[in-house]
Amino acid sequence: MSVIYSLKNVVKSRLVGEAGFRLNVPSIEIHEQENIALVGHSGCGKSTLLDILALALHPDSQDEFLLTPKKQDTIDAGFLWKKKKQNRLSKIRKQHIGYVLQQGGLLPYLTVRENIELPRKLMNLPQDDSTRCMARVMGIERQLDKLPGLLSAGERQRVAFTRALSHRPSILLADEPTASLDPITARKIMAVVMELVKGLKITMITASHDWAHIYKMDLRVLKQEAEVLDNGNLYQSTFTD
Amino acid sequence: MATCISPLSLINGMSQFKNILSLSFRDYSHEWRMSGCFVLALASVLAPMMILFGLKFGIVSSMVNDLVENPDNREIKAIGSGSYTEAWLDELSARKDVAFIIPKTRALAATIQLKSKTAGRIYSTELLATAAGDPLLREVSQTPRGFNSVILSEEIATKLNVTKGDIIDGSLARQFRGKRERVHIDLKVLDIAPGHVVSRKVAFVSLDLLLASESFKDGRAVPKLGWNGDSEPLSKRKYPSFRLYAQSIYEVEQLVDDLNQQGVEVKANLAQIKTVQSIDQNLTIIFWIIACVGAVGFSFSLGASLWANVDRKHKELSILRLVGFQGGKIILFPVLQSMYTGILGWLLAVLIYLMAEQSINQILAPNLQIERVICYLLPEHFFWALGLTISVAAGAAILGGVRASRIEPSDGLRDI
Repeated sequence: MSVIYSLKNVVKSRLVGEAGFRLNVPSIEIHEQENIALVGHSGCGKSTLLDILALALHPDSQDEFLLTPKKQDTIDAGFLWKKKKQNRLSKIRKQHIGYVLQQGGLLPYLTVRENIELPRKLMNLPQDDSTRCMARVMGIERQLDKLPGLLSAGERQRVAFTRALSHRPSILLADEPTASLDPITARKIMAVVMELVKGLKITMITASHDWAHIYKMDLRVLKQEAEVLDNGNLYQSTFTD
Repeated sequence: MATCISPLSLINGMSQFKNILSLSFRDYSHEWRMSGCFVLALASVLAPMMILFGLKFGIVSSMVNDLVENPDNREIKAIGSGSYTEAWLDELSARKDVAFIIPKTRALAATIQLKSKTAGRIYSTELLATAAGDPLLREVSQTPRGFNSVILSEEIATKLNVTKGDIIDGSLARQFRGKRERVHIDLKVLDIAPGHVVSRKVAFVSLDLLLASESFKDGRAVPKLGWNGDSEPLSKRKYPSFRLYAQSIYEVEQLVDDLNQQGVEVKANLAQIKTVQSIDQNLTIIFWIIACVGAVGFSFSLGASLWANVDRKHKELSILRLVGFQGGKIILFPVLQSMYTGILGWLLAVLIYLMAEQSINQILAPNLQIERVICYLLPEHFFWALGLTISVAAGAAILGGVRASRIEPSDGLRDI
């Protein structure tokens, strides 16, 4: 399988209170249709790395940050960030990336159906039966005309996954998607998602602090190491293949 | 090199605009309580401003205008007796700063004796020539023409106990060839000039009738009225005085100066004019200060609440950016919502204003015993208010929106 993400020496620093935090990615290659897990304790930079991969957060520096969506030319995301090509980055996010947030990230003023159809609308894709089909698979068909505020946490996450997959992206990113759910619901949802991801030949990268769950799902885990530098003033988290 | 916009990108742009329009409205109506608060906040600042301007435009302007346009203040009186030709009077009449001029046949008052069927005695009354545009008769719709019509001042009309449409008897007397003669003429009362404009006994007639009366008194014949006398033709007529009014009080001083320079001795109510000018200017300044302070306060109030709204929407705007909305289109989201607030707030303010206007006009008018409208705005004033509201709303929202569009999509994502 071809490489979909190639990152070399990607660095992102942040100030967390008094101390500094640095995300360091010396080298990562993610292949098409791979299922990747970013595992680590809270605050180790999983979400930051996911945001960078989602082209939602610009790295401070990089030697290489390439993205090659399915059947597309390679995109130099590092260059686009450097040149502040925000519209181009928006377009790539719109076409190739689906992102599931920890709390769902649904728009409260749209119904479930409208939330799901939003990415398709943005891409001017036809409003066919795919929303209903996918909602049936995800077990939320009966909730389609409700507002997100009326749904349970589990239902909201199912909607978030359905929205992220509705426009058939090349990449699905999920940031602790089941963190707020009970273990049984979490497993049920992830099982369905894994099946869909396989069927749709999508590359999935998920962040989680639940080691046991991740190993059961048979995901490739990126190594994460943490070290404290600069007399305890800088916390550095490194992710590698 | 010309930049070409491809039809596809144009369609995509339109489609994104449609999406943003729909999303911003859905969000606005979903949060109807919050939106309602913004609308109320806007209307509660705008409506009192509109009422204030309604009062300024209504009663205050009209009272100041009354002072400014008061004929007494605009009148320029000739001192003593002069000798003014028709050509000179015509020349003066053609000046842009002259509102009205008509000759007088006597330096002091010409008179006529008036009698009615319902009054017990004959009243000697000042006879003044009038014509269309006479400032003293601006509240009267008709103008005397020919020899048989008259407009009476309220005072003489009351004494004669006559009203509009009545016929009264006018008579003139003279000593002619050693004999005392008197002629009579029927005069139809066209209208009554209100007492607050003319507060003495005056009969306004056409210049023809005034000249005829003078001819008679001078012993000349007036064939048109069947009055006998000398028939020798009158050489070029000259008038001893005139009744002159400037267009406004602001032109009086210049006119007085010009006439004095020509050697025409005139006087005007310059001290009163200065007072009125000062009232007018001071009131205008006061209202402009209130207007500016009000407009600035309104702008800050509206701007701050809309700016806060953009901040509040931050996380939802981040989601929209994450799913692929471009930064430029994201700006439209808060801008459109501000437009909704602006338009709805303006509509509510107009509604409040119209109710207040009705109440003020109905409740206060009888108390003030005046017939004019107290609170009043022209349609264009409402559109100015809308323009100001929309400009401020758009300005504040664009500033906030630009800030929102510059924030990375990842910011705020964890909060939703």
